[in-house]
Amino acid sequence: MALPEPESRQSYLVFACGSSWYAVPAESAAEVVTFPELTRVPGAPAHLLGVFAHRSEVIPVVDMSLLVGGVSAGSRRAVLVRLSRGTLALTASTVAGVSSVAGVLEPLGPSGVHVHLRGPGKSGARDVAVIDIEGLFDHLSQGG
Amino acid sequence: MGPASRVEGTLLCRAGAHRIAFAAHEVAFIASAERESTARTWSARRAFREAASESRGRVLVAPSGESVGVDALELDADTHSVLPPPHVTATLSGGSLRGFILVRGALWPLLGLADFEHYLRGLDAEAT
Repeated sequence: MALPEPESRQSYLVFACGSSWYAVPAESAAEVVTFPELTRVPGAPAHLLGVFAHRSEVIPVVDMSLLVGGVSAGSRRAVLVRLSRGTLALTASTVAGVSSVAGVLEPLGPSGVHVHLRGPGKSGARDVAVIDIEGLFDHLSQGG
Repeated sequence: MGPASRVEGTLLCRAGAHRIAFAAHEVAFIASAERESTARTWSARRAFREAASESRGRVLVAPSGESVGVDALELDADTHSVLPPPHVTATLSGGSLRGFILVRGALWPLLGLADFEHYLRGLDAEAT
Protein backbone atom coordinates (compact mmCIF):
# COMPACT_ATOMS: atom_id res chain seq x y z
CA MET A 1 0.00 0.00 0.00
CA ALA A 2 1.40 3.41 -0.95
CA LEU A 3 1.99 5.91 1.79
CA PRO A 4 -0.58 8.66 1.21
CA GLU A 5 1.25 11.90 0.73
CA PRO A 6 3.31 12.59 -2.38
CA GLU A 7 5.23 15.29 -0.51
CA SER A 8 5.55 14.06 3.03
CA ARG A 9 5.62 16.63 5.80
CA GLN A 10 7.08 14.03 8.08
CA SER A 11 10.68 14.44 9.07
CA TYR A 12 13.13 11.63 8.42
CA LEU A 13 16.65 10.88 9.42
CA VAL A 14 18.46 10.28 6.13
CA PHE A 15 21.56 8.11 6.06
CA ALA A 16 23.65 6.06 3.68
CA CYS A 17 24.75 2.50 3.94
CA GLY A 18 27.23 1.82 1.17
CA SER A 19 26.00 3.47 -2.00
CA SER A 20 22.32 3.47 -1.05
CA TRP A 21 20.43 6.09 0.93
CA TYR A 22 17.73 5.30 3.44
CA ALA A 23 15.35 7.28 5.61
CA VAL A 24 13.66 6.44 8.89
CA PRO A 25 11.01 8.55 10.64
CA ALA A 26 12.87 11.05 12.77
CA GLU A 27 10.77 10.28 15.83
CA SER A 28 11.98 6.65 15.69
CA ALA A 29 15.64 7.54 15.33
CA ALA A 30 17.02 7.71 18.85
CA GLU A 31 20.68 8.43 18.22
CA VAL A 32 23.69 7.69 16.08
CA VAL A 33 26.36 5.59 17.76
CA THR A 34 29.75 4.11 17.05
CA PHE A 35 29.35 0.55 18.20
CA PRO A 36 32.06 -1.53 19.88
CA GLU A 37 33.20 -5.04 19.00
CA LEU A 38 30.09 -7.09 18.39
CA THR A 39 29.08 -10.46 19.78
CA ARG A 40 27.88 -12.81 17.08
CA VAL A 41 24.59 -14.56 17.80
CA PRO A 42 24.48 -18.30 17.07
CA GLY A 43 22.33 -19.00 14.05
CA ALA A 44 22.18 -15.38 12.96
CA PRO A 45 21.98 -14.57 9.26
CA ALA A 46 24.91 -12.66 7.76
CA HIS A 47 23.12 -9.31 7.79
CA LEU A 48 22.69 -9.53 11.57
CA LEU A 49 26.26 -8.59 12.39
CA GLY A 50 25.94 -9.14 16.12
CA VAL A 51 24.85 -7.43 19.28
CA PHE A 52 26.28 -4.94 21.73
CA ALA A 53 25.27 -3.67 25.13
CA HIS A 54 24.06 -0.09 25.29
CA ARG A 55 22.55 1.35 28.47
CA SER A 56 21.73 -2.12 29.84
CA GLU A 57 20.01 -3.15 26.63
CA VAL A 58 21.26 -5.71 24.12
CA ILE A 59 21.00 -4.14 20.69
CA PRO A 60 21.18 -6.06 17.41
CA VAL A 61 23.14 -4.50 14.55
CA VAL A 62 21.76 -4.94 11.04
CA ASP A 63 23.89 -4.23 7.98
CA MET A 64 21.43 -2.70 5.54
CA SER A 65 23.72 -3.37 2.55
CA LEU A 66 23.87 -7.09 3.31
CA LEU A 67 20.17 -7.17 4.07
CA VAL A 68 19.29 -5.97 0.57
CA GLY A 69 21.72 -8.40 -1.03
CA GLY A 70 24.73 -6.12 -1.44
CA VAL A 71 28.23 -6.01 -0.01
CA SER A 72 28.84 -4.96 3.55
CA ALA A 73 29.71 -1.31 3.95
CA GLY A 74 31.93 -2.21 6.88
CA SER A 75 30.77 0.74 8.94
CA ARG A 76 31.15 0.90 12.72
CA ARG A 77 28.45 3.57 12.99
CA ALA A 78 24.76 2.91 13.27
CA VAL A 79 21.43 4.67 13.61
CA LEU A 80 19.54 3.40 16.64
CA VAL A 81 15.87 3.01 15.83
CA ARG A 82 13.62 2.62 18.83
CA LEU A 83 10.27 0.84 18.73
CA SER A 84 8.00 -0.33 21.49
CA ARG A 85 9.28 -3.88 20.84
CA GLY A 86 12.93 -2.97 21.13
CA THR A 87 15.80 -1.18 19.48
CA LEU A 88 17.54 -1.88 16.19
CA ALA A 89 20.89 -0.52 15.08
CA LEU A 90 21.08 0.04 11.32
CA THR A 91 24.60 0.49 10.00
CA ALA A 92 25.29 3.88 8.48
CA SER A 93 28.37 4.95 6.55
CA THR A 94 27.13 8.56 6.31
CA VAL A 95 24.39 10.42 8.16
CA ALA A 96 22.97 13.34 6.20
CA GLY A 97 20.63 14.64 8.91
CA VAL A 98 16.91 15.26 9.27
CA SER A 99 14.88 16.31 6.25
CA SER A 100 11.64 15.68 4.42
CA VAL A 101 11.23 13.05 1.73
CA ALA A 102 9.23 13.68 -1.44
CA GLY A 103 7.64 11.10 -3.65
CA VAL A 104 4.92 8.46 -3.83
CA LEU A 105 6.33 5.91 -1.47
CA GLU A 106 5.43 2.44 -2.57
CA PRO A 107 7.09 -0.89 -1.76
CA LEU A 108 10.24 -1.33 -3.79
CA GLY A 109 9.61 -5.01 -4.33
CA PRO A 110 6.94 -7.70 -4.10
CA SER A 111 8.63 -9.83 -1.48
CA GLY A 112 11.38 -10.07 1.07
CA VAL A 113 12.89 -7.04 2.70
CA HIS A 114 12.03 -4.84 -0.30
CA VAL A 115 8.37 -4.91 0.75
CA HIS A 116 9.46 -2.83 3.73
CA LEU A 117 11.44 -0.30 1.70
CA ARG A 118 9.31 2.46 0.22
CA GLY A 119 10.13 4.69 -2.71
CA PRO A 120 11.14 6.17 -4.98
CA GLY A 121 11.74 9.04 -2.61
CA LYS A 122 13.79 12.19 -2.93
CA SER A 123 15.61 14.00 -0.18
CA GLY A 124 17.19 16.94 -1.88
CA ALA A 125 19.08 15.47 -4.81
CA ARG A 126 19.36 12.05 -3.21
CA ASP A 127 17.31 9.01 -4.11
CA VAL A 128 16.24 7.48 -0.81
CA ALA A 129 14.29 4.44 0.30
CA VAL A 130 12.06 5.03 3.31
CA ILE A 131 12.28 2.12 5.72
CA ASP A 132 8.98 0.84 7.13
CA ILE A 133 10.45 0.22 10.55
CA GLU A 134 7.64 -1.91 11.94
CA GLY A 135 7.63 -4.05 8.82
CA LEU A 136 11.40 -4.41 8.89
CA PHE A 137 11.23 -5.43 12.53
CA ASP A 138 8.67 -8.12 11.68
CA HIS A 139 10.79 -9.29 8.76
CA LEU A 140 13.88 -9.61 10.93
CA SER A 141 11.95 -11.29 13.72
CA GLN A 142 10.87 -13.98 11.29
CA GLY A 143 14.50 -14.71 10.50
CA GLY A 144 14.53 -12.67 7.30
CA MET B 1 12.04 -5.23 28.02
CA GLY B 2 11.36 -7.44 31.02
CA PRO B 3 13.43 -7.58 34.16
CA ALA B 4 16.70 -9.41 33.96
CA SER B 5 16.93 -12.86 35.55
CA ARG B 6 20.13 -14.16 37.07
CA VAL B 7 22.35 -17.17 36.53
CA GLU B 8 24.79 -18.56 39.08
CA GLY B 9 27.68 -20.53 37.64
CA THR B 10 28.30 -20.60 33.92
CA LEU B 11 30.53 -22.35 31.44
CA LEU B 12 32.12 -19.74 29.20
CA CYS B 13 32.95 -21.42 25.93
CA ARG B 14 34.70 -20.68 22.66
CA ALA B 15 33.42 -21.89 19.33
CA GLY B 16 36.05 -20.75 16.88
CA ALA B 17 36.40 -17.03 17.49
CA HIS B 18 32.93 -16.79 19.00
CA ARG B 19 31.68 -16.77 22.57
CA ILE B 20 28.82 -18.82 23.97
CA ALA B 21 27.84 -19.70 27.52
CA PHE B 22 25.77 -22.33 29.28
CA ALA B 23 24.36 -22.41 32.77
CA ALA B 24 26.46 -24.85 34.78
CA HIS B 25 23.41 -26.64 36.14
CA GLU B 26 22.46 -27.66 32.58
CA VAL B 27 25.73 -29.56 32.16
CA ALA B 28 25.89 -33.06 33.65
CA PHE B 29 29.53 -33.60 32.80
CA ILE B 30 32.35 -32.47 30.56
CA ALA B 31 34.28 -34.93 28.43
CA SER B 32 37.22 -34.64 26.13
CA ALA B 33 36.39 -34.67 22.44
CA GLU B 34 38.46 -37.81 22.02
CA ARG B 35 36.48 -39.71 24.64
CA GLU B 36 33.21 -38.74 23.02
CA SER B 37 34.40 -39.47 19.51
CA THR B 38 32.41 -42.67 19.21
CA ALA B 39 29.15 -40.85 19.72
CA ARG B 40 27.89 -38.13 17.41
CA THR B 41 28.76 -34.78 18.93
CA TRP B 42 27.53 -31.57 17.42
CA SER B 43 30.10 -28.80 17.16
CA ALA B 44 28.94 -25.37 18.33
CA ARG B 45 30.94 -23.90 15.46
CA ARG B 46 28.21 -24.96 13.08
CA ALA B 47 25.93 -22.29 14.53
CA PHE B 48 28.42 -19.78 13.15
CA ARG B 49 28.73 -21.51 9.77
CA GLU B 50 32.18 -22.80 10.58
CA ALA B 51 33.53 -26.29 10.14
CA ALA B 52 34.20 -28.33 13.26
CA SER B 53 37.71 -27.95 14.63
CA GLU B 54 40.29 -30.65 14.11
CA SER B 55 41.88 -29.74 17.43
CA ARG B 56 40.94 -31.40 20.70
CA GLY B 57 38.12 -29.64 22.42
CA ARG B 58 35.60 -30.39 25.09
CA VAL B 59 32.15 -31.86 24.97
CA LEU B 60 29.37 -30.64 27.23
CA VAL B 61 26.82 -33.30 28.01
CA ALA B 62 23.35 -32.45 29.27
CA PRO B 63 21.58 -34.57 31.91
CA SER B 64 19.23 -35.76 29.16
CA GLY B 65 22.18 -36.89 27.03
CA GLU B 66 22.50 -34.13 24.44
CA SER B 67 26.10 -33.17 23.73
CA VAL B 68 27.73 -30.10 22.19
CA GLY B 69 31.38 -29.71 21.29
CA VAL B 70 33.29 -26.51 21.98
CA ASP B 71 36.90 -25.53 21.39
CA ALA B 72 37.66 -24.28 24.88
CA LEU B 73 35.86 -23.49 28.10
CA GLU B 74 36.27 -22.05 31.53
CA LEU B 75 34.07 -22.22 34.57
CA ASP B 76 32.83 -18.93 35.95
CA ALA B 77 31.38 -19.26 39.45
CA ASP B 78 30.04 -15.70 39.62
CA THR B 79 26.38 -14.75 39.46
CA HIS B 80 25.40 -12.72 36.43
CA SER B 81 22.30 -10.88 35.35
CA VAL B 82 20.80 -12.31 32.20
CA LEU B 83 19.96 -9.54 29.77
CA PRO B 84 16.88 -10.39 27.70
CA PRO B 85 17.60 -11.21 24.07
CA PRO B 86 16.43 -8.71 21.45
CA HIS B 87 13.12 -9.62 19.87
CA VAL B 88 14.72 -10.17 16.46
CA THR B 89 17.05 -12.85 17.86
CA ALA B 90 14.35 -14.83 19.67
CA THR B 91 13.92 -17.48 17.00
CA LEU B 92 17.58 -17.84 16.09
CA SER B 93 19.40 -21.05 17.06
CA GLY B 94 16.10 -22.85 17.45
CA GLY B 95 14.94 -20.73 20.35
CA SER B 96 17.84 -21.91 22.52
CA LEU B 97 19.01 -18.37 23.23
CA ARG B 98 18.12 -17.53 26.83
CA GLY B 99 19.70 -14.09 26.85
CA PHE B 100 23.10 -12.54 27.29
CA ILE B 101 25.48 -12.18 30.19
CA LEU B 102 28.09 -9.48 30.50
CA VAL B 103 31.42 -10.93 31.61
CA ARG B 104 34.65 -8.95 31.64
CA GLY B 105 33.11 -6.28 29.44
CA ALA B 106 31.93 -8.67 26.72
CA LEU B 107 28.50 -10.07 25.96
CA TRP B 108 28.15 -13.85 25.93
CA PRO B 109 25.06 -15.51 24.42
CA LEU B 110 23.59 -17.78 27.11
CA LEU B 111 22.17 -20.92 25.51
CA GLY B 112 20.07 -23.81 26.71
CA LEU B 113 22.33 -26.83 26.16
CA ALA B 114 19.71 -29.40 25.16
CA ASP B 115 17.83 -26.98 22.90
CA PHE B 116 21.08 -25.84 21.30
CA GLU B 117 22.03 -29.44 20.53
CA HIS B 118 18.63 -29.97 18.93
CA TYR B 119 19.22 -26.87 16.82
CA LEU B 120 22.65 -28.10 15.71
CA ARG B 121 21.24 -31.50 14.89
CA GLY B 122 18.59 -29.79 12.78
CA LEU B 123 21.30 -28.00 10.81
CA ASP B 124 22.81 -31.36 10.01
CA ALA B 125 19.44 -32.65 8.82
CA GLU B 126 19.00 -29.57 6.63
CA ALA B 127 22.39 -30.12 5.05
CA THR B 128 21.66 -33.71 4.06
